[in-house]
Amino acid sequence: MKTCQLRDAKLRGVVAALISVVAATSLAAQSPAPFTMPVPPAAHLVAITNATILTVSHGTIPHGTIVIREGKIAAVGADVAVPAGAQVIDATGRYVMPGIIDEHSHSAVEVVNEITNAITPEVRMADVVKQDMPTIYWQLAGGVTMIHVLHGSANAIGGQNTLLKLRWGLPVDSLFFEGAPPSIKFALGENPKESNFQTFAGHPRYPQTRMGVEEVIRDAFTRAVAYRTEWQQYEAARRALRRGQAEPIPPRRDLQLDALVEIMDGRRLVNAHSYRADEILMLLRVAHDFGFRVASLEHGLEGYKVADEIAAAGTAVSTFSDMWGYKLEAYDAIPQNAALLTQHGVVVAINSDDDERARRLYQDAAKTMHFGGASETDALKMITLNPARILGIENRVGSIDVGKDADLAIFSGHPFAPASRVEMTLVDGRVFFDRTTAPTLEHEMQQLQEQRQHRGPAAAGRGAQ
Amino acid sequence: MRLALPASAGAFLTVALAVSSPCRAQEGTWALTNVRIETVTRGVIEHGTIVVRDGLIQAVGADVTPPADARVLDLSGRTVYPGIIDLISTLGLPAAPAQGARGAGGGGTPAATESTPAGLEPARMIADEIKATPADIKSLRDGGITAVLVAPARGAFRGLSALVPLEDSLTEQAVIRSPVAENLGFDGVQGRYPETLLGVIAYERQAFYNAQRQALLLDRYRANPVGMARPPYDEQLGALIPALKGNLPVFFFAKNENEIRRAVLIGREFGLKLTVVGATEGFRATDALKSTGQAVVVSVDFPKAPEVTGWQYRWTERHTPGDSAEADSAARPVIEGNAAALNSAGIRFALSSGGSLHPSEFLANVRKAIAAGLPRDVALEALTIRPAEIAGVGAQLGSIEAGKIANLVVTEGDLLGDSAKVRAVFVDGARYEVVAPPPAARGRGAAGAGPAADVGGTWDISVTTPQGSNPATMTVTQSGTSFTGQVTSEAGSAAVDNGEVAGNSVSWAITLNMAGQSTTITFRGDVEGNQMRGSADIPGMGSASFTAQKRTP
Repeated sequence: MKTCQLRDAKLRGVVAALISVVAATSLAAQSPAPFTMPVPPAAHLVAITNATILTVSHGTIPHGTIVIREGKIAAVGADVAVPAGAQVIDATGRYVMPGIIDEHSHSAVEVVNEITNAITPEVRMADVVKQDMPTIYWQLAGGVTMIHVLHGSANAIGGQNTLLKLRWGLPVDSLFFEGAPPSIKFALGENPKESNFQTFAGHPRYPQTRMGVEEVIRDAFTRAVAYRTEWQQYEAARRALRRGQAEPIPPRRDLQLDALVEIMDGRRLVNAHSYRADEILMLLRVAHDFGFRVASLEHGLEGYKVADEIAAAGTAVSTFSDMWGYKLEAYDAIPQNAALLTQHGVVVAINSDDDERARRLYQDAAKTMHFGGASETDALKMITLNPARILGIENRVGSIDVGKDADLAIFSGHPFAPASRVEMTLVDGRVFFDRTTAPTLEHEMQQLQEQRQHRGPAAAGRGAQ
Repeated sequence: MRLALPASAGAFLTVALAVSSPCRAQEGTWALTNVRIETVTRGVIEHGTIVVRDGLIQAVGADVTPPADARVLDLSGRTVYPGIIDLISTLGLPAAPAQGARGAGGGGTPAATESTPAGLEPARMIADEIKATPADIKSLRDGGITAVLVAPARGAFRGLSALVPLEDSLTEQAVIRSPVAENLGFDGVQGRYPETLLGVIAYERQAFYNAQRQALLLDRYRANPVGMARPPYDEQLGALIPALKGNLPVFFFAKNENEIRRAVLIGREFGLKLTVVGATEGFRATDALKSTGQAVVVSVDFPKAPEVTGWQYRWTERHTPGDSAEADSAARPVIEGNAAALNSAGIRFALSSGGSLHPSEFLANVRKAIAAGLPRDVALEALTIRPAEIAGVGAQLGSIEAGKIANLVVTEGDLLGDSAKVRAVFVDGARYEVVAPPPAARGRGAAGAGPAADVGGTWDISVTTPQGSNPATMTVTQSGTSFTGQVTSEAGSAAVDNGEVAGNSVSWAITLNMAGQSTTITFRGDVEGNQMRGSADIPGMGSASFTAQKRTP
């Protein structure tokens, strides 16, 4: 459990820093000020100089500068001058890439799944965000700047997803990425049909087969069509209302069907957990029948078998690089999936689905080059611009272009080189992770030793100052 | 939807009555003379008289002459306060809501008319359910508490709370106000929708939307039923309509920052008159609390450091010995400073025990809040007039004024000082003398454990679950602070494990074979002489209360 110890060590450093903040607070005032975590100051004008810039959208700039104003990229190029008064980050010998976007995350929430119904489109991940989970900081240390937090996959139609920027330490409301198209989780196959677990012990929950999964989805959309008609008729009656007539009575508002109507109206993106080619085709048919597009197939491990159909539907695939065989429906997965789908014109993202894997997504992206022969740019896109396209936010994040959010990861070497690591991560130009100030194991040990030497065991409880 | 009273509860009440307190209520006309009076709303009268007649304060002042028919109590050296009102209590309610049956999930919105399990009952009328034992009532009252607001401790929709006076013969007629508020929380129902926080929030929002439409239909129908289909009768939805129309406050139980923010968002979405209840981490969400425009009920049942956001992440994956002590010392001043921070932020609030603190711990924690910067007079208001106002009874309770209900506390020393002793309590004008308990029977909080109580012998135990009362017999052999023994009941016999006595606190466990599964039930209680009461933690069922009586040898 080496990784655990390492994480502990990092954490301890943060703890020590926090305790000193608390102690200082409590000493300073009799009535303690509201407790806040140490957060970096907002960056008004920042310049990253002498960097190798992987723009993702327009090639690599071997020796360039990025200027950031009020959190947005103001200039990028080889001949960009550093404005007066800028906070300069010298990135000599370093690589800068767009902040990594993890399109499939379950991090930073208190609950992942409302498992008790086969469809739960009314529940919202945004309601259960937990902004102080340490994984946020650890993911920043892996260059991740944005996570798409999905509902779990136990329900054929799951809950409404939420999109977070990893503004570690800021209040919960500050993490939401405002203005992004809303999205929702669907799930096909073994999870919604309870193949590997039982929601209610001894009481199988409908559906128990892939046939049932399709029926549940079709049934829900059939009801949503009727519901939409009901509202349309109500609106029409209101418009036709003449003076003296009683107002028509509105239909009952149904939070489940509201979300499904949004899908059919193209106002909510569908991210569908799926594995097998047959179920992928099934969902594409259902979507066609009800007039919506599936934004992405999550995992889609057999996507390579039906790549043309997926491409024709305008659907993307958010997949693993090299995970297979962990359950029956993952037996036909191959590590060439991402590259093959890309060759067939499908937008492909590599996701983590996991707090830990999220920290090494750049290595997972590199594997698509190794296994499938993807180009370096395509591999980079799979963790930056492509997830942004899936989420409908490619005009705001995902590449290093003027006008986009300054979400950047600065690596010690090329992100795909095995020994490279993240040195600094910026969100909106603000340095939320900096390895030079991040707590280290050495730092932690030193502090503990100092405590023992200078204060004795009784005072050790006060923490490092 | 009312919980049926189990047939065996009658027997349980009989047992409880048989052990009622030695201090009976003394009714009549009283004149409390030569006493220092903290009226709370009208300043302090250093040397005055209070006349109590027919349950009300008839007169109060420095120059009041006791009427001829009054029994005069010379209270020189004592101070009188308005009785404490605690707005978080589960007094007299069944220990835990029964868990819903595990059913098939299926699709579709939960129909408004489907049967409502505990925890999803907005129409649950708490006033009808309170079955408090005189011993429970006395335990609170001896700490200076004269009225409590009763609501279930768990659930999403918990029902309509009732403010009750702490008098021995507590009957439904004595209820001061009901309903005081609709009570909401974030607890799901295990084994059915909504089970998690995700589902609970959606369920609550959907229920309010359903109630909005029901209100519209009912209003239309009342205005003109001709030619209109009759709206279906729905007791549960109907109970939410006053809350939606702003005629009934909503008390939302929310402790930490994120819970508070979630509750406030729901309140805003439906224009509720929202009182946040709990708010132990309110100092992190003062903006949200202020935005409700309502006062807050602040529990002084201080959270453990790991329960608090902001530093919770320090413990989530670490179990190094010594961590918690280190953390507590750092976090304590912040946690205990919650009320002070809210006061500084200009937020009006009542202080509450949080429902599970013993009265001595309640006041001990209020003192800690004062030590952390809360002005003492604000603390006193927050125990008296402010809870009265929040419960909508500011005209009847919460201060010592002529015409108000005579709920009073007589102390030796400052009620909020370290050496306060409650000497007598008046509830609805009836006097209850408080006899100082022997040192061994003091509360767990302030006084420490003390010598181990004597628990050796044979006990008759009655465990009350929602299904009814379950009698058992326990034989105990004590050795210092530990004991062994045997518990026998209809379900069979089991050995007592881990029997421990610390002061008057007792705990033990038994392992039973229940429905083919080995289940360990943990008992925790307090001994007072030959009486014992406490709770039994039954895995899968929650917690149940128990009482026990030692047989005389």
